[in-house]
Amino acid sequence: MTMAGHDRSSLRKVRLYGVLIGLLGLMMLPFYAMFSSTLKPESEIFAAPATLVPSDPSFQAYLQVWTQTDVLLWVGNSFIISVGTVVLTLLLAIPAAYSCARNDFVGKRTFLLSVLVVQMFAPVVLIVGLFDVITQMGLFNTYLAVIVPAAAFTLPFNVWMLYGYFKTIPVALEESARIDGASQVQILTKIVLPLTKPALVASVTYTFLYAWNRLLFVLTFLTDSAKYNIPRGVFSMVGALQTDWRMMLTVSVIGIIPLLILFAFLEEYIVAGMTAGAVKE
Amino acid sequence: MSLAEEYTEASDDSRLERGLAYVQRNSRAYLLIAPAAVFLLAVVGYPIIETFRLSLYQSPADSNIETFVGLQHYVEIFNSDIFYRLLWQTGRWVVVGVAGKTLLGLLIAVHLKGDIRGRKFFRTAFLIPWGIPYAISAVVFRWIEHPQFGYLNAILLKLGVVEQGIGILGNPSIAWLGVVVADIWIGTPFMAIIFLAGLQSIPQELYEAAAIDGAEKWHQFRYITLPQLKSVVLIATLLSTIWTFVSFDVIWTMTGGGPISSTATLVIHIYQVGLQNGNLGRGAAYSVIGFLFLFVFAIIYLRIYTRGGDEL
Repeated sequence: MTMAGHDRSSLRKVRLYGVLIGLLGLMMLPFYAMFSSTLKPESEIFAAPATLVPSDPSFQAYLQVWTQTDVLLWVGNSFIISVGTVVLTLLLAIPAAYSCARNDFVGKRTFLLSVLVVQMFAPVVLIVGLFDVITQMGLFNTYLAVIVPAAAFTLPFNVWMLYGYFKTIPVALEESARIDGASQVQILTKIVLPLTKPALVASVTYTFLYAWNRLLFVLTFLTDSAKYNIPRGVFSMVGALQTDWRMMLTVSVIGIIPLLILFAFLEEYIVAGMTAGAVKE
Repeated sequence: MSLAEEYTEASDDSRLERGLAYVQRNSRAYLLIAPAAVFLLAVVGYPIIETFRLSLYQSPADSNIETFVGLQHYVEIFNSDIFYRLLWQTGRWVVVGVAGKTLLGLLIAVHLKGDIRGRKFFRTAFLIPWGIPYAISAVVFRWIEHPQFGYLNAILLKLGVVEQGIGILGNPSIAWLGVVVADIWIGTPFMAIIFLAGLQSIPQELYEAAAIDGAEKWHQFRYITLPQLKSVVLIATLLSTIWTFVSFDVIWTMTGGGPISSTATLVIHIYQVGLQNGNLGRGAAYSVIGFLFLFVFAIIYLRIYTRGGDEL
């Protein structure tokens, strides 16, 4: 490579990283605003104009938040709702996806396409009818009032994701197990599901995130504040007249920590899931 | 179809029998999809029917009295100014939001494509905004845009762009821009990751051949990247359009549809009318109109998705 060529490629690199870091900075700004505000004392957070860097940073707000808000309760509820949704979704999706991957039957295409259409029917356009159903089923104000609709709207993604993956597992593996005398259930739990692990991790992550993040169902179907999840809890802190911004932002930071951990470890699966949901190529 | 076949088809008995025999032969397959199918019918299918039914009734949520009013809700909606204002507000919300997400996503993806150091870090970091609760992103943006204590005004004042703090979310003519910014921030990571996946599936040889032919970077982007990426862009923008159209949490948390309904979209109005004001019938009628929009999007999506025909 000539000198000039070398210069050009390192210049290109500088530009590339410059743009990337610039874009990343832009994306991270809201996190900075959120986090730096929680480090300010109460007097400074209500300074106009805002100080961009806390003058005397402290973690005091993080100590206060336990006693002044219900953050622990909300995080706990978010866990209950997310885990419940994951369990219910997988219980329904695994058999359905497996059946579609292994059998050819009348109505399969209809089933798979209707499932895809469900994904289009965003919950909010259905909310009025759904409200009726939840009340009629007697689920209002129970965790199930949130888990049931969340499972319905994560089911499509899960069925398609697992269906696609099951199809890649050779039938020969199952047949040899059958010859060895394994039952259908054993084949599924001992052979097929372990091989499906990457797809399962993606499914679980997607479903967990979906249920963790959703405000709508809790807002509509839970009036009992003891069952609020994190988004609902944060929303409830927005006052009509006054908002305790410091506490609210601190709760927000705490509410996203579990997700940041999840992202750090499962990034690849999340990406795999996102892409599988939208692109086939 | 021959006459004989037509004759057997017409015989109800044998048709039913054959059907039953078929189901019996495939009983395990049907049993396995049954729970999911029944569940979806109950939780999604039934509410759809219920929404259609409710839209024909005058039905206040706080009483059990339902009065059949036929298409009255629809007539009133189509004759109201609110409806057309909602369409306009929804349209600009979707167009500006999706355009912003697509362009920013493309910009990020193109820069992440190469064999760069720390790609996993960048990819994870860019993904984070997508994964946190929308309600939390929304309050953070609300805080940033706070007229007195917000960071945005602090920066604008420092730069001398404004002389006095501006209240974006309280101003009916620009509040929607304040909300759309948050929505773009939330939706961009998805686009970036999908585009990145699309970019990485483009055969490298195409670029090598183009480079030998002396094609400039911009030309490579114009004549290789864009055409190759077309179907991915199509699917992603369509999904994004649907999601932006039905986006609820962000608007609701940031403005609740206000000030003076300037940030309300069709779905925000559904919620306000149907659940907040308890006019289930009217809310249901708005929902049905929302369905129709989604239905159009869904048909386009399904057409693209099943174009190959070999997938099922």
